[in-house]
Amino acid sequence: MRKYFKVWWLLTIKGTQIALSSRMGAILFLIGKLLRLSFFVSLIVLIAARTNVIAGYTLWQMIFFYLTFNVIDTLAQLLLREVYEFHYNITSGYFDNYIVKPINPLFRALFGGSDILDVPVLLLLVFATIFAAFYIGYISVAGIIIYFLLLVNSMLIALAFHIGVLCLGILTTEIDNAIMFYRDLTQMGRMPIDIYKEPLRGLITFIVPVGIMMTFPVKALLGLLSWWIIALSFCIGIVLFLLSLWFWNYALRFYTSASS
Amino acid sequence: MNWSAVKPYLQVAKNTWNNALTYRINVLMWRFRMVLQLLATYFLWLAVIPSNKTVLGYSQSAMLTYVLASAVVSAIVFSSLVGEVGEEINKGDLSNYLLKPVNYFAYWLARDAGDKAMNICFAVIEITLIILFLRPPVFLQANVLFIVLSIVAIIMAILLYFLMNFLLGLIGFWSSEVWAPRFIFFTVYAFFSGGIFPLDILPKQFFIFFQLLPFPYLLYFPIKLYLGQLSILEIILGFLASAAWLVLLYKILQWGWKKGLKQYTAQGR
Repeated sequence: MRKYFKVWWLLTIKGTQIALSSRMGAILFLIGKLLRLSFFVSLIVLIAARTNVIAGYTLWQMIFFYLTFNVIDTLAQLLLREVYEFHYNITSGYFDNYIVKPINPLFRALFGGSDILDVPVLLLLVFATIFAAFYIGYISVAGIIIYFLLLVNSMLIALAFHIGVLCLGILTTEIDNAIMFYRDLTQMGRMPIDIYKEPLRGLITFIVPVGIMMTFPVKALLGLLSWWIIALSFCIGIVLFLLSLWFWNYALRFYTSASS
Repeated sequence: MNWSAVKPYLQVAKNTWNNALTYRINVLMWRFRMVLQLLATYFLWLAVIPSNKTVLGYSQSAMLTYVLASAVVSAIVFSSLVGEVGEEINKGDLSNYLLKPVNYFAYWLARDAGDKAMNICFAVIEITLIILFLRPPVFLQANVLFIVLSIVAIIMAILLYFLMNFLLGLIGFWSSEVWAPRFIFFTVYAFFSGGIFPLDILPKQFFIFFQLLPFPYLLYFPIKLYLGQLSILEIILGFLASAAWLVLLYKILQWGWKKGLKQYTAQGR
C-alpha cells in the first residue's frame, strides 16, 4: 500500500511539473474551468429566478445538486487523469512498460499522476458545496453520513466506468471518444435525474447508474430516498466495480503489444 | 469554373469522409455523445417549461423546437477539423502543404466539407428518431423566405466558425500552447452561441452586449431566423454584424498567416 502511494506521489509530482512547465497554459485551463462552472451556475440562477422550482427543487437545492455533481466529476478527473492517455499507450505499445514493472498495471493505468490543475477548482467546489448546504433546508446528521458514504459509492462507480474505458482501449483501438462518452453520460447528472422522463430516467438510474452517482447522494441528504434504495445503490456500486475488475482481467488477455 | 483546380479538393473531402468510415466505432461514439448532450438539454427545458405555460418568453413548443434546431445547426456549423491546424504548425507538418501546389485554406475547407457531410447525415437520422420516439411539439416553418434566410445565415456561420477556429490554430506559430486557448474558446462559444439556451432569455443589457460578439451568429441567429421570431430590423442588423465579423476575422487571418509564416521554422521536422 505504502509502495503504491509512493508511486502515485512521484508520478503526481512529475505530472505537476509537466502541467506547470507552461504556466500560461495552466492559467488558461484554470480560467476555462472556472468560467464553465460560473456560466452554468448563472444559468441555473436565471431559470430558477423565473420559475421558483425546477422538478420540485428550489434554487439552492438545484445549485447543491450541480455542485455535488462537479465535486464527484472533478475528483474523478483529478485522480484518474491517466486514463485519458491510455489510448496512446495501447496504440504505441507503450503499455508494455506498465506490464513488465512490479506494479499492478491497472493501478498504473488509472492513477498514473493526478492533475494539479483540478485541485484549486476542487477546493472552490467543496467550499461552495458546504456554503450551499446551509440553504437547502433541514438536513440530519444521519443524512450527512449517508451523503458522504454515497459519495464514496459514486467514486467506486466512476472507478468502474474508467476501468471499463481502459478495457475498451485494449479490445479496440477505435476508442478516442470512449472517455468523453463517459463524461457526456455523467453530464446528464448535472441536474437531478427527476427531470428526465421514463424510460430514460430508469435507464440512467439503474442500467447506467449516473443517477446513483450524481443525484442519489443529494437526495439522501434531503431525506428523499428510502433505506432499501440506498442499500441497492451500494450493491450496484460494488457489483459494478467487481464486474469492471473481471472485465479488466478478460481484456488484458487480448493485449497484442501492437507497434512496440 | 476551372474543374481541374477544384478536383483535388473534392478528393480531400472524399478522403475525410472515408477516413471517418474507417473508424466507425469512433464516429458512432461521437454521434452518441451528441445525442446525449441534446437529450440533457431537451429534458432540462421540458422540465422547466410546463406544456401550458410560457417561461422566459418561450412556450414549451418554441423552446423544444429551438433545442432540436440547435442540434441540427450545431452539426452543420461546429463539425470541423480545423482545430488540428495549430498542432500541424507545432509539429512542423505544415511544411508538407507549403511544398505542394495546394491552397492550405481551401484544403481545410474541403476537409471540413467532408466532415460536415458525415455529421449532417447522422444528425438528420438522430433528430428524426428523437422526433419519432419523443414526439415533441415542434414548429415547422412554412415561410420559404425565413428558410432561405436561415440557410444564408448558416453558410455565414460556417465561415465565421472556420475563421475563428483557424485563427486559434495560428497561435501555433508563436506558442506550443494551442489547446488552452481553444479550451476557453469552446467554453465561451458553447454558452454564448445559444446552443444550451436561446440568448434572448438573458437580461436585456447582457443580451445586447453578447450581440456585439461573433458567437450569437453561429447558432442563435440562424435558428431564430428559421423560427421567424426576428423583426426586419433585427434581421438586417444580424446579417450586418455577421458580415462585419466575417470581414474583420478574414483580414486578421490574412495578417496573422503572413506574420506567422515569417516566424515559421518547421520545428519538429
